[in-house]
Amino acid sequence: MRENTAGNGKNAPARVAVVAAGVVSPMGFGLGETLDSLREARDCITRVTRFSVTECRCKTAGQVPDERLLEDGRAAGRSTQRLHRTSHMIIHALGEATTQGPEFKPELTIIGTTSGGMSNGEDYYRSLHRHGNLRHSPTWIANYPAQKSVIDAQEAFGISAPCQVIANACASGTNAIGHAFECVRSGRYQCVLTGGYDALSELVFVGFDSLQASTPEKCRPFDRNRTGMVLGEGAAILVLENLDAARARGVPILAEIAGYGMSTDNFHLTQPDPCGIGPRRAMERALQSAQISANAIDYVNAHGTATLFNDAAEGKAIAELFGRVPVSSTKSMMGHSLGAAGAVEAIVCLLALQHQFLPPNINFHASDDDIELDVVSNEARPAALRTALSNSFGFGGTNASIVMRKFEA
Amino acid sequence: MSLAIAGMGWITPLGNGVDPVWKRLLQGAEAFAGKITEQFGDQSYSAFRVPDSALASLAPHPRLRRASAISRFAAAAGLEALQDAGVKLDSLNGDRIALVFAISNGGVIYTKRFYRDIVEAGAQSASPLLFPETVFNAPASHLAAILGVTGATYTLVGDSAVGLLAIRMAEDLMTNDSLDYCLVIGTEEVDWLLCDAYRRWRLLRLEPPMEPFSEIERGVILSEGAGAIVLARHGSLVIERTHTGGYFRKRTEAKEILKGIVSDLAESKIDFVISSANGTFIDQAESRALQHIIPDTMIYTAKPALGESVGAAGVWQVILGAQALDRRELPPLLHAPSTIPLPVPASRTALTKARHAIVLSCGVNQQVAGLRLSIP
Repeated sequence: MRENTAGNGKNAPARVAVVAAGVVSPMGFGLGETLDSLREARDCITRVTRFSVTECRCKTAGQVPDERLLEDGRAAGRSTQRLHRTSHMIIHALGEATTQGPEFKPELTIIGTTSGGMSNGEDYYRSLHRHGNLRHSPTWIANYPAQKSVIDAQEAFGISAPCQVIANACASGTNAIGHAFECVRSGRYQCVLTGGYDALSELVFVGFDSLQASTPEKCRPFDRNRTGMVLGEGAAILVLENLDAARARGVPILAEIAGYGMSTDNFHLTQPDPCGIGPRRAMERALQSAQISANAIDYVNAHGTATLFNDAAEGKAIAELFGRVPVSSTKSMMGHSLGAAGAVEAIVCLLALQHQFLPPNINFHASDDDIELDVVSNEARPAALRTALSNSFGFGGTNASIVMRKFEA
Repeated sequence: MSLAIAGMGWITPLGNGVDPVWKRLLQGAEAFAGKITEQFGDQSYSAFRVPDSALASLAPHPRLRRASAISRFAAAAGLEALQDAGVKLDSLNGDRIALVFAISNGGVIYTKRFYRDIVEAGAQSASPLLFPETVFNAPASHLAAILGVTGATYTLVGDSAVGLLAIRMAEDLMTNDSLDYCLVIGTEEVDWLLCDAYRRWRLLRLEPPMEPFSEIERGVILSEGAGAIVLARHGSLVIERTHTGGYFRKRTEAKEILKGIVSDLAESKIDFVISSANGTFIDQAESRALQHIIPDTMIYTAKPALGESVGAAGVWQVILGAQALDRRELPPLLHAPSTIPLPVPASRTALTKARHAIVLSCGVNQQVAGLRLSIP
């Protein structure tokens, strides 16, 4: 930790660079495959295979294939047999980040998740309940805590930074990136590793199904006939560094994080205030943090879960604040990966800024008369993008937005 | 950057309220360990539970009607801390206070109940009322709604070091001038399932007492409750320095990480250490690290009296340290062996002129953190 003090005794706000990134999601392993999926508007939702969904309304999710997840770990020669799937996902994402540019040494790691190693808890409980074989229980229990997967991944790459794991429900990933951004911007840290992860679990899947928040149909964010969300899974990692320090090291800069805002909407534990005040406050604070006006935003990656309530409240807030800015929810392609969502969607924004296109919102067929948005419907669009805003909102009324900017030297 | 402790709140198996709990600790009291059982488990466990009477003064609120114990504990401690600090929230300053929650196991009682329904009767019997209470940030959401907080609300998860990591996070947040206060709350509830998991992990003791610093690791008794501290920029008792913490890969590495933290925090004279010793491998790791760096400094842990409250433990330790500095005395350390190689308060011990303390927190799940408390 360093103190970056300006002449007035206050910390001078530093610019914050993304110097490395990695991702695993149903859209692919790595930035390249993710870019291809986005450009081709791939529907990456499949029937759930990890547990029985016979009694659920929803039968589908965005899933990361185990064969490849575990195979790559074995190929790397790591002792990963006992690790949870989430550890494998973070190892993949962090592994990709470590291959980019000169070595980075984070002083702190801030990662978002909603449920950590929940499926280990499920295995343990099921075995207990049926008086089954509990031989593996020490492994299940050891891999259950949310920080374990992050530590596993750091160990795999010799990173020893202390870990803060944020569990702010579905906003966790964006909260993690936002807080990491503020840590670097304040000058207290030079380099922070951040991101989010979550794996599908039966408990969470059934939970959303019980709320009838998930849909038996296609996920259609912002569509007039939307019927709910589809879950997903994945992990994404971003390495944030003081921009001046990164330039001095000659590190390629992928993009900048320029602003962060969060708000707490006390309306209801699971539903947003219909007037959209929570999302609006988070977006306004992100703009204020970035010191830009709303018309500087070229693209909004929406939280866009495709539930009636979320999309109505978020759509209203976006329309009021930005007018006809292009908007998409990439959850339509890969599902809602909860604690990973904000981090994966930050990667989507990064790719959009780097490759100058608008990521698509698939399964969109009819505009909602109550939501006046320019939805990037069904196909990616080429566009000149300089600044993007990404939203994540969660249970508990937690709302988070980050502003990302194309790096221009 | 240093932060002042402007107010504190506490709910524990020894009752509620900072002063009443402190008084009982000074008297050498130890919480009552009740037995908890489960319908499908043949083993019963001892746990230190918060007595019902401790929540009697918590005002009813619609958000707490269906909330789990973990949320009620957090609300009781948080409201006491704000009252102690004289902080009143309204629609004009709801965004000028941040909430940072430290949690380890979360709402395990409702989580277990929700999943039990799935296992026993299928997905169709899963309750949509229970599911939202299973998320880690449900307690933070409830308290934000009760208080009218509209700005930053974070829930950190980790092991028993998470309370100190949350204070570190609060320190980072308070670099932002838009905040006046940060309310840090550690909260946890205990359940049979947790006890069973800790036993299978060979960290649980079936019956009290918890014996800190014993050469034989006999394990913990789990407990529950919450602790809350209001952090401000100015005050007479300060968190002078936080350490970013670290993690160990193997238990045998914990001592080296702890040595590094103690070494960093002990740059000025330290009058006492509030330890996280709980009857596990942590005790020897802490003891050896302290023997190496500050062997003559008095060490105290309240875990034999209050139990291991995991997510709440770090904040409890800070409350203990702040009380000891403010009142210039330490409670007696219970059930420690006579062979312990560090000075300990065998009875209620005066701390004349004490000004600096270290709070050290080592978790069983690899995380380690520390901070230094001071009276400037």
